[in-house]
Amino acid sequence: MTLQPGTRRPNPIADDGDEYTFCSTCAFAPVCLAEGLAKHELWDLHCLVEHIGPFHAGEHVFREGDPFTAIAAVRAGTVKTYVVDSHGREQVLGFFLPGEVIGLNGIHSAKYPCNAVALDTVTLCRFSFPAISTLATRLPGLQAQLFRLLSHDISKAALLAGDFTADERMAAFLLALSRRYAARGFSATRFTLSMARTDIANYLRLAAETVSRVLKRFQTDGLIAVERREVELKDVPRLQELAQAVLRE
Amino acid sequence: MNHAIAFDPELLRRYDKPGPRYTSYPTAPQFSDAFGEAELREQARLSNGEPIPRPLSLYVHVPFCESPCFYCGCNRVITRDKARGEAYLLRLYREIEMVAPLFDRDREVLQLHLGGGTPNFLSPDQLAEMVDVIGRHFRLGRGPGRDISIEIDPRHVGPADVHALARTGFNRVSLGVQDFDPAVQEAVNRIQSVEETLAVIEAARAAGMRSVNVDLIYGLPKQNPEGFARTLDTVIAAAPDRLAVYSYAHLPQMFRAQRQIKDADLCDPATKLSLLQLAIDKLGAAGYRYIGMDHFARPGDELAIALEDGSLQRNFMGYTTHAACDLVGLGVSAISHVGDSFSQNHRDLSVYEATLDQGRLPLWRGVGLDQDDVLRAALIQQLMCTGGIDAEALEERFEIEFEQYFAGELAQVEALRAEGLVEGDARHLRATPRGRLLLRVIAMCFDRYLNAGAAAPARYSKAI
Repeated sequence: MTLQPGTRRPNPIADDGDEYTFCSTCAFAPVCLAEGLAKHELWDLHCLVEHIGPFHAGEHVFREGDPFTAIAAVRAGTVKTYVVDSHGREQVLGFFLPGEVIGLNGIHSAKYPCNAVALDTVTLCRFSFPAISTLATRLPGLQAQLFRLLSHDISKAALLAGDFTADERMAAFLLALSRRYAARGFSATRFTLSMARTDIANYLRLAAETVSRVLKRFQTDGLIAVERREVELKDVPRLQELAQAVLRE
Repeated sequence: MNHAIAFDPELLRRYDKPGPRYTSYPTAPQFSDAFGEAELREQARLSNGEPIPRPLSLYVHVPFCESPCFYCGCNRVITRDKARGEAYLLRLYREIEMVAPLFDRDREVLQLHLGGGTPNFLSPDQLAEMVDVIGRHFRLGRGPGRDISIEIDPRHVGPADVHALARTGFNRVSLGVQDFDPAVQEAVNRIQSVEETLAVIEAARAAGMRSVNVDLIYGLPKQNPEGFARTLDTVIAAAPDRLAVYSYAHLPQMFRAQRQIKDADLCDPATKLSLLQLAIDKLGAAGYRYIGMDHFARPGDELAIALEDGSLQRNFMGYTTHAACDLVGLGVSAISHVGDSFSQNHRDLSVYEATLDQGRLPLWRGVGLDQDDVLRAALIQQLMCTGGIDAEALEERFEIEFEQYFAGELAQVEALRAEGLVEGDARHLRATPRGRLLLRVIAMCFDRYLNAGAAAPARYSKAI
């Protein structure tokens, strides 16, 4: 007998869509439904949607400089985007969870300006960009959703630019993950960190040792519980207090 | 929590059947050479990637012994040639240089244990050098909780050596005694006086070592209750902090040295059980707590405290308070537990050395754990360390329906319940005081590989 996947399992697999239903994590389903278009009516959209993967941990979805042809929504797993600077140092740009869209930053230059790599087993929904742009001109809701995704992508990058303490950064990171999971119907208080601590450290501009030291202190102080890669948020109000400055609430 | 044990010879006799000791799950017969260097490197990488990477626990195997004890089933090499120790250390240092970089440098070593063989086959200076080399490649913890321990053969060490070990940082010693009865000592080829043994214990205390452990064995040839009672009295008077009382496993087809033991000298099953009972009664009366399996500790000892507060763990080195570590085994035949894997070095010394000379990790075999393995390992760990199974904790952590997932296993447990080994409903199973000595029999119900008939039972020693 195998283990049943559950809602708190590492990188929950989205309920798979078919001809008639959207995947449960689909980035575009709410818009289309709001437009009164059920999936079977979306033959236009359907023909430009392509399920791709699985990509295994360490496999690249696209690389910097590849021609930009499509954006992709994560159906399952976690994708990391990063660039490598002129000294050969990696810089993590972000992590993309189920329901989130990668490749948006390729629009302006017609090339992907970063690398995207699977951190665990990843499946994607690929949207041909020319086709979805054309469709968006006909569906105002879809266009608005594309703009929302774009602006969200830009503001996310600004999140950590300020002069914040390690504790503030870490609390904000955990809370942001919690909210993003919750928005897709997963547990807000218990999730798996599929990114390595060096990735977290790189993303938060901290040393790997600092990441562990801060998490250990959070654990001692009863804010969180960590077991291997699983994290449980035990005191959300206190985490919010810490994250306030970063999340600007 | 009730940790009482009840001795029921009739029951023990009935369950005296071969079974694993569950120092790992899956057990060694599941290890294969499909698990190699690439797999170990990947497990180490993943373990470094955990948000709070586990601290490390190092085990170093020193395989040499000057003479063969006939009962021994350990991986060892009999020699008096000290040059072999020197040659071995060079390979060991090569291995340390190759293995240490697999682990992020900020992962502290909380425990370093030297086992054998006879670690004190190496001189105190060699051992100091070894600890120094380890300290240059790993981050040895400096906190008060750090353990550096060594198994000592009291026949080959003097008080001055013990003081030298303490200066190196060793703070726990474990002494092999087995039995002081001269007839037994002769039959097992290990002549060791009470005086030299007590002198080492005294020296360890005088040198400020934190803890002294003594190993005894019951079921040895020529052993009898009178002689073993005297041994127990002598040992109890020396007041070691911990005691292990192991069952002698007579497997002459597997362990060549055991072929020196005459069948006629072996004690019969009833006598063997009475020796165990004697140990349990005497140690209990002297105030020792039963920790589990073969282990006893004084009430103030960390193991006894860990038993009380539920933090007790079990690994290849027995019961420990450090099992939330990744275990890195160094040296010939050493076993590692890194991430969700077990792996073992070559057990043939010449192969171990040749592999290192070729610049490769001396890995022999191993196994990567799947989710089911991790779940069953956690369950067996609970059972071995608390004497019970906490269904709710397992359901919470692994997202299973306990009764549904283990329906077949729980049906097997019912047979043990009928025998009075377990009590409580299916969600709160506990070993009864009668069942405490047969924890591995209960654990066997949950071993997927045993139930699949994958392991040949003859390869395991008997339960008691």
